[in-house]
Amino acid sequence: MRPEVLRHGPSLFGRLARRISFVLFIGAALLVSAAWYYAETAANKAYDRLLVGAALQMAESLSVEDGILTARLPTSAFELLGLADRDRIFYRVIDTHGQTLTGYDDLKTPTPLERVQDPLSVEEGVYKGEPVRIAHATRILADPAVSGRAYVIVAQTNEARLALTRELTLRATILVFIMSLLAFAGAMLAIRYALQPVEQLGTEVRGRDPHDLTPVTVDVPRELDPFVSSINHFMGRLNERVDLLQRFIADAAHQIRTPLTALTAQIDLLGTGKLDKAGRQHFNRVKERTSELSRLTNQLLSHAMVIHRADSVQLEPISLVDVARRAYRVAIPVTVDPDIVISFEAPDERPFVLGDAVSLREAIVNVIDNALRHGTDQRLEVRVRASGTQAFVEVEDDGPGIPPESWEKATQRFATSKSHEGSSGLGFAIAQEVANAHGGTLSFRARDEKGFTVVLTLPLFKGVAK
Amino acid sequence: MIQVSFALLMVGLTAAQALAAESNKTLFPAVQPGASTLTVYSTTDLAAIKPLIEDFQKSSPDVSIDYNEYLTNELNALASEACRKQEPLGDLLLSSSVDQLLKLANDGCAAAHTSPETLRVAEWANWRDEVFGFTYEPAVFVYNRSKVPPAEVPRTHVELADLLRERLNYYRGRVGTYDIRLSGIGYLLAFNDARQTTTVFGRLLESMARASAVARCCTGEILDEVAKGNLYIGYNMLGSYAYDAAQRHPELGVVVPRDYTLVLSRGALIPKGAQRSDLGARFLDYLLSERGQSVARTNAFYFTESGELPPGVDGPQNLKESGVAQPIRIGPALLAVQDRAQRQRFIEDWSQSLIELNSPAWTRE
Repeated sequence: MRPEVLRHGPSLFGRLARRISFVLFIGAALLVSAAWYYAETAANKAYDRLLVGAALQMAESLSVEDGILTARLPTSAFELLGLADRDRIFYRVIDTHGQTLTGYDDLKTPTPLERVQDPLSVEEGVYKGEPVRIAHATRILADPAVSGRAYVIVAQTNEARLALTRELTLRATILVFIMSLLAFAGAMLAIRYALQPVEQLGTEVRGRDPHDLTPVTVDVPRELDPFVSSINHFMGRLNERVDLLQRFIADAAHQIRTPLTALTAQIDLLGTGKLDKAGRQHFNRVKERTSELSRLTNQLLSHAMVIHRADSVQLEPISLVDVARRAYRVAIPVTVDPDIVISFEAPDERPFVLGDAVSLREAIVNVIDNALRHGTDQRLEVRVRASGTQAFVEVEDDGPGIPPESWEKATQRFATSKSHEGSSGLGFAIAQEVANAHGGTLSFRARDEKGFTVVLTLPLFKGVAK
Repeated sequence: MIQVSFALLMVGLTAAQALAAESNKTLFPAVQPGASTLTVYSTTDLAAIKPLIEDFQKSSPDVSIDYNEYLTNELNALASEACRKQEPLGDLLLSSSVDQLLKLANDGCAAAHTSPETLRVAEWANWRDEVFGFTYEPAVFVYNRSKVPPAEVPRTHVELADLLRERLNYYRGRVGTYDIRLSGIGYLLAFNDARQTTTVFGRLLESMARASAVARCCTGEILDEVAKGNLYIGYNMLGSYAYDAAQRHPELGVVVPRDYTLVLSRGALIPKGAQRSDLGARFLDYLLSERGQSVARTNAFYFTESGELPPGVDGPQNLKESGVAQPIRIGPALLAVQDRAQRQRFIEDWSQSLIELNSPAWTRE
């Protein structure tokens, strides 16, 4: 129930991932567009050189023979253009009078030749319905028979350029894609890494014992410091409140105990002599209730003490058998019904646990007391034993026991179903509190033919006892 | 003077075209009824293409083929005109004069075609997936065994030039070659001869001129004359036709020159907008396929790029490995061959050196 509360809002990771991928996508799109532009420029430059080269070769081949301008178009010029192996080639040689000497009669440069200043040029154009690059070269002739400007126009379709542009762009795109993927993966890893302290903090806070109100001590990045100190501030205040409350309860119980002792004494003094039957009945009920009240007060005090000691007392190795035996003596009153068979059983080796003798004794007293009051019919058995890494204190009685469905409830404060029998319901709560403070548990073993057992499990102390 | 004769020649040529259009049409009816018709315009001799067409019709029995045969220049003129008018000529053009096909493709008259079969075509024999070379035909020498003694058989261009110079009187008027004014393929071969790095072709041309070489329109005519013994040596004959003739006339010898051998790949092109371009593509795929190539090797064109020379041909064992083969690359360089100024001047030069000199009396009709 606790952790899910945080999961409803969009996760920080998801938000960062979305924004970063958006930025990367825009970046990749820009890079690919740029790659296309550069690839196109590069392809045009490369193939324009071939085109101009061919035009120059053709212009070079013009010569005046017997007073007539002739063109011996070199095959190499066409082979040069043929390097763009799928492109169609158009050319035209124009003599000094503007007449076509050879080639395609209707091939023209986009800018009329008369207006072109440069001796060489390359332009975009359309010929025979196809987009082409058109280059021209000028040859100035100064022969007495033929003088003036002759032109060579060479055009080539764009297939090779487009293919090269596409290839270059594709390669760049693959690179950009891989880079984006790497960047994205890197960013995700970085975000995950950066968010790890938040996760750790969450786990730490979530995994805390509800009674643990000490400050959170996790190493977090500077950015999370305000968050952690807020938590700690809040915890501190809560702790103060709880302390105050506990002190109040202890004080109250303490304050009640003195008049209560006096009250008990007074009732004892009162005697039953002068009372009629009904009066005696009332008197006895008052007496019972008073003793119940004093027991509750004692338990409240004991509870407060256990809690206080859990926070403040240094744990030390103690013999569980000694503690249990002492508790056993305290818990069994002198006035106990002599028909009940009571026994204490301890192993030969003395299991040690790391603990607070006073709290533990209190816990065991409460368990035995509880069994004596509500369970035992004719037999009560207290056993101490050790097995593996754990030590056990078992209190077994031959009473009806607690049905398994009520086990959880039994350890809650004031939750017993038998309050009318004088139970305060604090006994198991105290025992469990102590068990938890010692890193152990309080559990029940279902009733078998022998009886019902309450088990206090504690971790065995492995070191050397003093 | 030259110009006038040239013009006259052109007029004659146009008349011949009109005549040819009627006489060179062959219909191969489909095996199955209800057939569609594929129209092929070609320069390939009917005899050579026939086995291929018949085998094609075995796998495509629903296609009848209308086969129209022309000289290379005629076909080019018809196809260019058709393209200009945007009335596609037939569904498939086959021409040994690949430069003309390339010019047509460059002018945008061709439709591209790609298929698993076209991928098999060597890179040098495919331009833009529009013009495909589907044969491998070396330009060879042929000679008449009874007229040319074995010791004199020329095996390189130089030997041929020297032979004509040394035995001028014997060979005067007895050497035949293409008339490049009439034959596109002759022009293409001569142009490529002239592009060789050595000066051999110049010497050879000079020797042939001095020996009053005879120029004819077509391979067939020269092969016939050599077989009959009117001519002794034929220069730059297409290997496929020469070998075919040699099989029919045992006195014909075929020599693949050992210094360099021009290799021509007959071209195929599907005209843009052809009515049944699908059928054209089907026949083209067949020609390029394993099966078509194998039929061509055994029955039609005999020479292949990778294999050995056919039996009985004098030449290097394997054209490709010996390194003498010079395939005429189907690429933009052929545009230089097709340049009209270039062509005009080349033919003029050639005519001056070869034809204007005295031709023997029997060649003048």
